[in-house]
Amino acid sequence: MDLFRIVLLGTMDHIVVTFAKRVCMPTAASSTTIITPPRSGLRRALAELPLTVVVSTLLAALITLVIGKPEVFLENLLFSVMIGAVAFVLLNGARLLFWDLPVWSWRQWVPFLALAVVVAPIAHFTGTSVAGLLLDIRTPTLSEYPSRASASMILFTLGGTSIMTVLLRHRERLRRSEAEHAAARLRAEVQERQALQAQLRLMQAQIEPHMLFNTLANLQGLIAIDPERAGEMLDQLIQYLRATLSVSRAEQTTLEEEFNAMRAYLGLMGVRMGERLAYRLELPPALRSARLPTMLLQPLVENAIVHGLEPKVDGGEVAIAARVDDGRLRITVCDTGLGLDQPHSRRGSGVGVATTRERLDGLYGPRAALDITPAQPHGTLVRLTLPLETA
Amino acid sequence: MTPRALIAEDEPILAATLARTLAQCWPELQIVASVPNGLAAVEQALALRPDILFLDIRMPGQTGLEAAEELAERWEGPEPFPHVVFVTAFDDYAVQAFEQAAADYVLKPVSAARLGKTVERLRGLVTGRAEQGAGLGQLLGQLQALLPQAPASQERLSTIRAAVGNVVRMIPVEEVVFFQALDKYVNVVTADGEALIRVPLKELLAQLDARRFQQISRGVVVNLDCVQSAARDDLGKVMLALRGRPEKPRVSPVYAHHFRQM
Repeated sequence: MDLFRIVLLGTMDHIVVTFAKRVCMPTAASSTTIITPPRSGLRRALAELPLTVVVSTLLAALITLVIGKPEVFLENLLFSVMIGAVAFVLLNGARLLFWDLPVWSWRQWVPFLALAVVVAPIAHFTGTSVAGLLLDIRTPTLSEYPSRASASMILFTLGGTSIMTVLLRHRERLRRSEAEHAAARLRAEVQERQALQAQLRLMQAQIEPHMLFNTLANLQGLIAIDPERAGEMLDQLIQYLRATLSVSRAEQTTLEEEFNAMRAYLGLMGVRMGERLAYRLELPPALRSARLPTMLLQPLVENAIVHGLEPKVDGGEVAIAARVDDGRLRITVCDTGLGLDQPHSRRGSGVGVATTRERLDGLYGPRAALDITPAQPHGTLVRLTLPLETA
Repeated sequence: MTPRALIAEDEPILAATLARTLAQCWPELQIVASVPNGLAAVEQALALRPDILFLDIRMPGQTGLEAAEELAERWEGPEPFPHVVFVTAFDDYAVQAFEQAAADYVLKPVSAARLGKTVERLRGLVTGRAEQGAGLGQLLGQLQALLPQAPASQERLSTIRAAVGNVVRMIPVEEVVFFQALDKYVNVVTADGEALIRVPLKELLAQLDARRFQQISRGVVVNLDCVQSAARDDLGKVMLALRGRPEKPRVSPVYAHHFRQM
């Protein structure tokens, strides 16, 4: 009998929860839980009423099965529902009034179960009386009530209310964890949006309209003067744009690809600045496949040009080199331009560096570093240190 | 008389392209020089006295606007001031500013059609321009609108902290007679001395009370309370006499309107 009951209870739990989830909790509710204000007490109290009906029905079915008289099922059902309803109103009301906490410890469980013990006879007596009135069946009066038969039925009611309580707590936990999930999803969405915005900022910082239009102007000029060189320049522009725009798709690239993008960029700037710009790129063959985040180098090289060399009357040289030092990847961007504290250097140099620092911090934390120092005799030296990752 | 033009553009291909397009639109125009930066633009313009000046905005050394300003300050002699056409790449703000200042400008990449319109206007200006100073007056109005105004800073400076040897002198701003830009430094001049600070003049200007301190040229800001008088010399240049200082700083034509009679 005990085993039967446990199995039955387990199955019931599952059926009830599934049923209740479908009927009482429309799916949309889960995603709006955190936005809508908390539900009112009355609505919360009534929300669990269908569950009570279901549990009562199952208990009536159980009794009918145990006593083996299928013809009295409907009568049993009404009795069961009435008892259940009274127990529900008392216990659920008390629960919402005095123990409305997200987590229950023994401090909540012990007084609640004590209350359930008190409520069981009250619910049983009131429920049977009401059902008896409705069905015109004589039920025991208050003086006749204390008896052996009543005691077993009170115990049964207690069992039923205990099941109800466990189910209610279970459902509340479920609802809460769903709300937490929804909140976590929302947080993740916000984070993703922020990351996208950062990426967008990065791209906007890279493809500066001024740079693009000046390059196009040069291209237009070259087409008339030197079509062959115009073709070369167009190739470099395509390579530069591809590298710059693909940042939204790929998160990682190889040093070889990054150096190629830089070579294309410097090639474009070389056409534009003519003899004012010299450049050198040094990539040891062993480091070609070393991996690094996309667009890490580009802002630094562009700073060297835009803030260091382009505004300098005589121009100068930029040198980009990669090497392994103490098991870490070290990349240097060194220019002979105006240098760090130049009142004549153009505004906005902080954006590229700040974005790069933010990204490095997010990706590697203390394992990466970016430091910027004056170069000798003049210019700027940028040193980038990253963990060495090879594919 | 053949019209003569000077091109100031730091990117060699763009300079060549502008010269080429001009040769097509205006065959009789003579390009007397093509210079790669704003400093050379001023020197060559002063030496060659062209009728028209094509000035790129973003150039090394100094910008096209700064070059025009310096040229306005230094232009002397009987030749009329050149007509200035600014050349700029895509830059929303600048284009709007040029429209508002009614300045002549061409956009890079240069379209032959757009340049043709400018050339048409320039032809009329160059042949019809007899009276001296018309071009300069026009440019000054444009520069007043175009030169970047230092945005007023929330922080108003009340004391200048200047190092003199090992001592930091605290100078109340109202005691400063004028500030003078010297390469990377600014010379702070008071009635009883001078001190150098390492703050760009533009940055300093943003922190000063605009009703008391007035910029009078690219490198000088004066305390109006210390200005005794403004005198115009034979060449029409304005000079200030200051209380407590013997210097007579010259007012750039760009700022001369601040010292006209009421």
